[in-house]
Amino acid sequence: MIELVNLSKRFKQMYAVKNLNMFIEKGEIIGLLGPNGAGKSTAISMLSSLIEPTSGDVLYQNKSILKNPSAFRKIVGMVPQDIALYEDLTAEENLMFFGRIYQLSGKELSRKVDEVLEQIGLRDRKKDIVKKFSGGMKRRLNIGVAMLHDPELLIMDEPTVGIDPQSRSYILETVKRFNEERQMTVLYTSHYMEEVEFLCDRIYIMDKGNLIAAGTKDEIKQILSSENTISITVERLNDAFIEALEQHPMTNRVTIGEKEVTILVPRETKAFSEIIKLAESTKLDLVSVDNKTPTLEDVFLHLTGRALRD
Amino acid sequence: MIGILQAKFKSFIRNPWTFVTFTGMSLIFALIFGGAGVDKAFIPVYSSDETIKDSYIGKQLVKQDAFQFSWMSEEQLLEKIEKGNAENGVILHEDDFEIIVGVDSFNTELVNEMISSVYQDKAERERIVELANQNNKDSDFILAKLDTALENPIFDVQTATFRGEGAFVYDNSLHRVFGFSLFFVIYTIAYNVLPILVEKKEGIWDRMILSPLKKWEMYIANLLYSFFMGYVQVLVIFLTFRYIIGVNFHGAFFETLLLLIPYVFAIVSLAILITALVKKVQQFNAVLPIVSVSMAMIGGAYWPIEIVESEALLALSKINPLTYGMEILTGSAVYGYSLPELLVPISILILMGVVLMGLGIHLMERRHI
Repeated sequence: MIELVNLSKRFKQMYAVKNLNMFIEKGEIIGLLGPNGAGKSTAISMLSSLIEPTSGDVLYQNKSILKNPSAFRKIVGMVPQDIALYEDLTAEENLMFFGRIYQLSGKELSRKVDEVLEQIGLRDRKKDIVKKFSGGMKRRLNIGVAMLHDPELLIMDEPTVGIDPQSRSYILETVKRFNEERQMTVLYTSHYMEEVEFLCDRIYIMDKGNLIAAGTKDEIKQILSSENTISITVERLNDAFIEALEQHPMTNRVTIGEKEVTILVPRETKAFSEIIKLAESTKLDLVSVDNKTPTLEDVFLHLTGRALRD
Repeated sequence: MIGILQAKFKSFIRNPWTFVTFTGMSLIFALIFGGAGVDKAFIPVYSSDETIKDSYIGKQLVKQDAFQFSWMSEEQLLEKIEKGNAENGVILHEDDFEIIVGVDSFNTELVNEMISSVYQDKAERERIVELANQNNKDSDFILAKLDTALENPIFDVQTATFRGEGAFVYDNSLHRVFGFSLFFVIYTIAYNVLPILVEKKEGIWDRMILSPLKKWEMYIANLLYSFFMGYVQVLVIFLTFRYIIGVNFHGAFFETLLLLIPYVFAIVSLAILITALVKKVQQFNAVLPIVSVSMAMIGGAYWPIEIVESEALLALSKINPLTYGMEILTGSAVYGYSLPELLVPISILILMGVVLMGLGIHLMERRHI
């Protein structure tokens, strides 16, 4: 359906996105993962024809959208990272406004507005001014606006930033429902691994403008098939223990938290006994040692040496 | 485009405070500094003879247009002069008067001439009464005839003034109304253009770009709205001063309303350029007062540009839309210039508007603001 071919964007001397290749099939939910500054927003801005790439192309049904984006724009619904709403208007007025600019009118517009309000769970609050909404309600309306013209492709740029877990869960369920009921294709960017794991069929991982991994969830987790992730929880960390861990031949990578240390070790290593020995020799009180199932977060850690939200 | 305008007006109805604040500020400042439409010089008056206040002299002083004579005690009069609350004071006697001069200004001579003339009239009337009595005529009848004749003269004399280019006429009330209106409207317009920056940052514009709406429609809707709000603000201020406070626009009220258009257009364009040059709302909030106050100072909003002598400031005023805005309004209302005589400043404002808007929109688009 959509293909990004060697897409690059350079701002002055710095590449925000470099040689990005992606494809999106109809009805898929695609996750675009990466920390802040990875180039996700620039990539989706190019994909949605909002900014021109420095080089490369975006193909929709094998035709470039760069020269004549209007046909492609009709099928795109955009959910920006910020709340792109008029805060002094009510939820209903916002939907009416954005519906009108999509050339809906009369009964069709009213029907569509009611339908969207129902889907995003704001029917009872439709007469309330957006300024008085909670963060989660604003986010839901932000999504609802993008749904008014029944887009084939919904592009969501970190749509759950800064909201409570309940609202986040509601939004994720809504997106899943849109995908299942309407066969809507969704491109979902986030730096929350759990959201992408829950929603997406395939995942692209970006870091510093480059695509560093791509595939289904299982394919990506296979990257870690040769390693185990071990989480060590302690009473109080000491420098000697960390130093000993870092210098131990079994350790591939160490990530330090406040009371937790995560290490990547080769799969065949008998790490538990080694960790206990190191703890004893450095006079460290262990609380627990867990062998974790690899997550996408671990994959990102493995690929970049950094946690996703660093 | 209509949808954008509707949304803007709905937002305005729910949150009109920027408009109300700057309209209120214009009214208050123009009222305070323009003397609430009273442009008469204040002259304290005292007389030891209490009958003078109700006599012919007292009544004639009240009728004067140029000065506001205010009766008070001698101590109060002297205190007003000493404190600088009045330039001159007058002490009236039965057949002569004294002028207490605090500031030796042009007004001193005018006061002297005006009161002398009243005393001369009084002497003439006394002479008429005396002669009438000598000739057994009815003096009241003769005086009434005289008053009627003076009110309906045989010849209607019209006067015109030949004015050279350097001549300067100053109407304090009008100057303040024009100055503060043109100054504060900069804020109203700028804060109505600012949402373009905010909406672009928040992604509202991206949504509209992805819709069938054309980009020029988005700009035109925003600019029309800003223009309208700015124009309505000045309209409200002018209507208030003309019809409620009673400031004299010298018969050019509707002309001034029409001639405002190029100035408001130029300010909308200037606001676009400022919006395009800044990256954040905070920067906009910092830059706007610097630009607007500088414009007001060198453009003659606070004081007449004619009193500025610095060549550098005068040169700067030539690239300032406010200079031309003031020139057009005072030219029309104070100097009575016709439209052809105002074509130069009008053309400059329109040119400025076109150039600044072109530059502003180009920068906005290029910088992806």
